[in-house]
Amino acid sequence: MQPVRSVKHPASLFLLASILVASAACSAKKNAVQIPFAATWEGQPINCNRGPYSLSDLRFFVSDLQLIDSNGAFHTVEFIEDDRWQQATVAMVDLENGEASCANGTADTHTRIHGVADISDFTGIRFTVGVPFELNHANPLLAAAPLNDPAMHWHWRSGYKFLRAGVVTESDGTWLHLGSIACNGTVRDIRSCDAPNRIIVELPHFVPSDRVGIDLSALFAGVDLRNGERSDCSSGPAETECAGMFGALGLTFANQPGSVGSVFQVLH
Amino acid sequence: MLLALAIAMASAVVIQLGKQPAYHWDIPADFPAPSVPNDNPMSVEKVELGRWLFYDVRLSGNGTMACSTCHMQRLAFTDGRPRSIGSTGELHPRNSMSLVNTAYASRLTWANSLLDRLEDQALTPLLGDNPVEMGMGGREAEVGELLASDPEYRVLARRTFPNDENPYSVLNAVRATAAFVRSIISFDSPYDHYLAGDAGALSESAERGMDLFFSERLECFHCHGGFNFTDSTTHASATVESVGFHNNGLYNLDHSGAYPSDNTGLYDMSGDVRDMGRFKAPSLRNVTLTAPYMHDGSIRTLKEVIDHYARGGRLIESGAQAGDGRLSPYKSEFVVGFELSDQERADLLAFLTALTDESVLTNPRWTNPFEP
Repeated sequence: MQPVRSVKHPASLFLLASILVASAACSAKKNAVQIPFAATWEGQPINCNRGPYSLSDLRFFVSDLQLIDSNGAFHTVEFIEDDRWQQATVAMVDLENGEASCANGTADTHTRIHGVADISDFTGIRFTVGVPFELNHANPLLAAAPLNDPAMHWHWRSGYKFLRAGVVTESDGTWLHLGSIACNGTVRDIRSCDAPNRIIVELPHFVPSDRVGIDLSALFAGVDLRNGERSDCSSGPAETECAGMFGALGLTFANQPGSVGSVFQVLH
Repeated sequence: MLLALAIAMASAVVIQLGKQPAYHWDIPADFPAPSVPNDNPMSVEKVELGRWLFYDVRLSGNGTMACSTCHMQRLAFTDGRPRSIGSTGELHPRNSMSLVNTAYASRLTWANSLLDRLEDQALTPLLGDNPVEMGMGGREAEVGELLASDPEYRVLARRTFPNDENPYSVLNAVRATAAFVRSIISFDSPYDHYLAGDAGALSESAERGMDLFFSERLECFHCHGGFNFTDSTTHASATVESVGFHNNGLYNLDHSGAYPSDNTGLYDMSGDVRDMGRFKAPSLRNVTLTAPYMHDGSIRTLKEVIDHYARGGRLIESGAQAGDGRLSPYKSEFVVGFELSDQERADLLAFLTALTDESVLTNPRWTNPFEP
């Protein structure tokens, strides 16, 4: 993948440099950055079309995206607002297209995040799967896109479903709804959440031509997808099926610390 | 100067026109007014708009269900099922709660420490997808479109929200529905008449039952106390927030105190094992009409509810839910068990029956406007 608006013409570069000198105090973020995402199952692409394993859902919020340069320094990516999928500090990725096994989803997809940063070349990335706390507990009926999608909101827990993921087989299936739980306060005045459940993903070897892979076979490795019993997890502490999924995401579940997250990977 | 005066007068007229008459609560003088969120004041117009919306099946994704489907006036706004069924056939984990005097609830639904406003609670049945209830998730814009396109809603919404640039929003629909639910107030039971000085309103048996209900021997009133018969009660002049969740010994899976995993009560919200099986004590007003009982509708009759508390917890002898709730480590200290004579049992039932306000079932303020 190439930075989309990298400026190659010397004259343009000179012009841009002049503008940048004039406006350096305002913002140095001139480089367009795109981070693409793709769903996989045991190394192969997985989608909503029926197969041995097919997608039933995959939507999630990304915030605090950072590029890591060759010196190990972090550079914040500012999301480009589009009134649909992205606002300045949170973006939604939607890898299901509403067809076949994704019938409960939506036709529109959003497979890559668009932003600007002060560097164009990088060797790694870090991001959070989740909605920042200060946006997470506001009234969803008054929220701007992409935080106005009720499918991604948890009205009874307060806050958003940071991640909706699911797969089905011919006779079985499973899904995860992940979000903050054990929150304190009241719906209009949430003070904190004891289990924030935001996933911090760091991919130290990720270059501009790479994609972020979401390995659903790793996420659902602990689920028996052949026993015909639908099992799912909506982040509740009594849901035994959650333990393996949280573990694979590197999250603590019911006081059991997760392993090193294995779900988010680099796709070359 | 004249012009300025004219403008001032014109503004005054506009303000006068925009002002709505104060909402009149039909509440006996001895009871407090409910607390109402500042951003959703009550008005006659709003309650009327909410009444139509409450009974309108167009608020469900497939047009089969309204709020009233699970909250039927003739059953004190419950549905008579152990567990409710959503518009797409999904079985809800929980029993439909009565909406009577919900305006006084300090927390809403069976076991949610966060939900304290009807405006927020309404979003779950309307938009939720786990389980699907009314199934409007992803189609919420249609609610605003309904207000804008239906001629009668259009008039009602404009009249209710005269200062809104666009009154036809899902937010306003939710506000109006919440206001309607908040208007369902009941203080007209035989017990209320008795409190107001009509000594004959309670039979002698019910009077004896009242003494049992408020006795330390039975302990009922610790959780079902106060004017609304639940400790999760608040009102406009309340100075202390009262919120209570209790484990009443219904389940004790694997001798560990566990509840069935789809219905663990407050534990599901907090993750704190001490909250296992803790649910809100529902109001007992109209309790004879709200069977079956408990959060999962697992007790069929009021008589069996009394048996449950008399035993101090429920014994399930076999099956996936086997266990003796009486021995649960998480059980409330007030569920200790008691012995009752047949007469006492009848007396207690007579008292509980006296909490039924028949007027709720037919009061035209809350009837279905689509069935004139």
